[in-house]
Amino acid sequence: MGLFAQLCINTLQIGAVYVLFSLGLTLVFGVMKIINFAHGQFFTLAALLIAAAMPAFTVQFGLPVWLDYLVSFVLAMIAVGLLAAVLYFIGFERYLRDLIGSFILSLGLLLLLEGVYLWLFTGSPRVVAKILPGQVSFAGGAMETQRLVICGLSLAFTVALYQFVQHSRLGKALRAVAEDREAAMLQGIRYRRTSFYGFMIGSGLAAVSGGLMAPLTPITPALGSDYLTKAFIIIIIGGLGSIPGAILGGFLIAAIESVAGYFFDLSYATIAMFALVIVFLLVRPEGMLGYAQR
Amino acid sequence: MRTLLTWAAVAALALGVSTAASTARADDDVIRFGITAPMSGAAASWGIGADWVGQQAVKWINEHGGITAGGKTYKVALTTYENGYNSADGGKAAQAMLNRDHVRFIIQGIGTAPVKALQSLSERVGALMMQDAWGKSVKGPQAPLTFTCANTPFELFGPLFDLVKRQHPDAKTVALLNPNDATGQEVEVEAVKQYKARGYTIVLSAWYERGTTEFQPIATKLAQTHADVMDLSGAPPADAGSVYKELAVQGWKGVKISSSGTGSDALVKVGGASVEDVYMGNAADFGGPTATPLQRQLNADGLKALGEPVNILDMAAWDSAMAIKAGIEKANSIDPKAVAKALPTLIFESSYGPAAFGGEATYGNPQQMLVPIIVTQIKNGQTVEIERIIPDELKQRLAKTQ
Repeated sequence: MGLFAQLCINTLQIGAVYVLFSLGLTLVFGVMKIINFAHGQFFTLAALLIAAAMPAFTVQFGLPVWLDYLVSFVLAMIAVGLLAAVLYFIGFERYLRDLIGSFILSLGLLLLLEGVYLWLFTGSPRVVAKILPGQVSFAGGAMETQRLVICGLSLAFTVALYQFVQHSRLGKALRAVAEDREAAMLQGIRYRRTSFYGFMIGSGLAAVSGGLMAPLTPITPALGSDYLTKAFIIIIIGGLGSIPGAILGGFLIAAIESVAGYFFDLSYATIAMFALVIVFLLVRPEGMLGYAQR
Repeated sequence: MRTLLTWAAVAALALGVSTAASTARADDDVIRFGITAPMSGAAASWGIGADWVGQQAVKWINEHGGITAGGKTYKVALTTYENGYNSADGGKAAQAMLNRDHVRFIIQGIGTAPVKALQSLSERVGALMMQDAWGKSVKGPQAPLTFTCANTPFELFGPLFDLVKRQHPDAKTVALLNPNDATGQEVEVEAVKQYKARGYTIVLSAWYERGTTEFQPIATKLAQTHADVMDLSGAPPADAGSVYKELAVQGWKGVKISSSGTGSDALVKVGGASVEDVYMGNAADFGGPTATPLQRQLNADGLKALGEPVNILDMAAWDSAMAIKAGIEKANSIDPKAVAKALPTLIFESSYGPAAFGGEATYGNPQQMLVPIIVTQIKNGQTVEIERIIPDELKQRLAKTQ
């Protein structure tokens, strides 16, 4: 029972972040029909800024750690938002629905931003101070209290986004554009404006997941790369552009990593993920819940 | 107008080429040193520190008259190349270092995979390389220009495991974790052999991919073995810190070893209280009483410049630079092959004091720098030296010169 609980807890805590990160990527693909390889850089920047700002605030203002984290988190979100807006207007706006153009652009941005982060923050791992001490146990499994809180926040963000996309005016516009751009435009939806909002929400989700992960993991300029690879696997399995697919795919990949990683080897778990991607691309390219055309 | 602009551009280009050529001529009096190391990721602290210490060594050499050979005095310059701790980036670093910049003396190579990528080229072009890859196969008669500038598992593991056995006689089982790359694969073989030789049972030898960010599944796998000893052999400090933290959360208690642990700083920063009492096979307290005055000075300056104490791999960059300086002066030549022949015959002044090259019995060629083996443990978040062993071979070499 203890082992089973621990594997479930591992799946939950890994999956919560994977889902949040992948949602942004799938949203951007759904609305803009672009593959954004620079998506992980928003995640990385948020985490790096929080790690850099927190010690400075602690020394300068003597804030308690949780407030310090909160202030740094908000500032990081603003900074990432500004970066995303600049990148959209100088780059991505010109390559809407252009897979090859956006692929080249985002790959260039990935390399550029990683180099800039390395120059600004150095490659040495940074660590954010523990926000909540202690750990919680459940049925023989255990996790840090702050991880539990951050998992809860990730799930809350996921539910909020889902509700937003399902019920809000902008959410419906995003879905309409993702399903059929021409039909959406005929209904009076302004495609470019909706694309911009979609890109900003997607980038914001990457930043939120980076900000939430900051207290849990050593932070380096290469941090986003591991998550980006997993996110691509998730959205291919879940279905490109599908929000429920990203949620399902995120937890499926986390379960493979957790369970296969335990019973076999973590390397086998990685191989299993890529094998699954190949199977999906061959047998069901639209993914579990996607609507992409073969 | 367009023709005028074209000719202006040609003239500017010609001027640039002639300036570059004159710079190249000026470089005839400069011996270029190189370092290939990870400057980002979990092992970045090794590369950043090695670069800083290497620059201090170069500064010291230049301020103390440079290097004299063949009746000529040379200044020294150092460039560090990012190898990403993998063979692909290591190969790129090798091309840039050896073919583009024509570096012929490499004072530090970190990481078995990138060092092997570099070695395939350095031996061919005749560049001398000092490195601290942990694989046995990088040295030997087949690679006469490759030397190791820090202790490796073949020197470290025996004394480290002996000490652990003395201090924890009840411990019988060991679980190992290594990165699934050239470093990890070579380290694991030696670790298993050395543990078994001391009567331990290996209950698990697990692998992980470098760049992993979520360590809970690995920690669960390790914790479920209930091993008495947990050795995160080849895992760099940031990864080891993450695993120990998760092991503590999942309730595992036992003897913690980080055979490749090079210092408490990154381990403590990431692992917090969970890394207390970790034994390290590759660390030293260069600010402590057993360090030499030079090491204490470098450590104090390094703390100010890097925010971290200097570790063994960083210090090896100093020792390599001094060994190469001594080698060039003894060979009276800047030909790397002549220097490589001179190195095993000399005793040079390292940061630890007099040092030499040996290890022929283990590697088939005297290509291992002989420096003290230091076993440390993390106590109250600090690296504390608990045993220092001077290699017998070094003792014999020093005795012969007295």
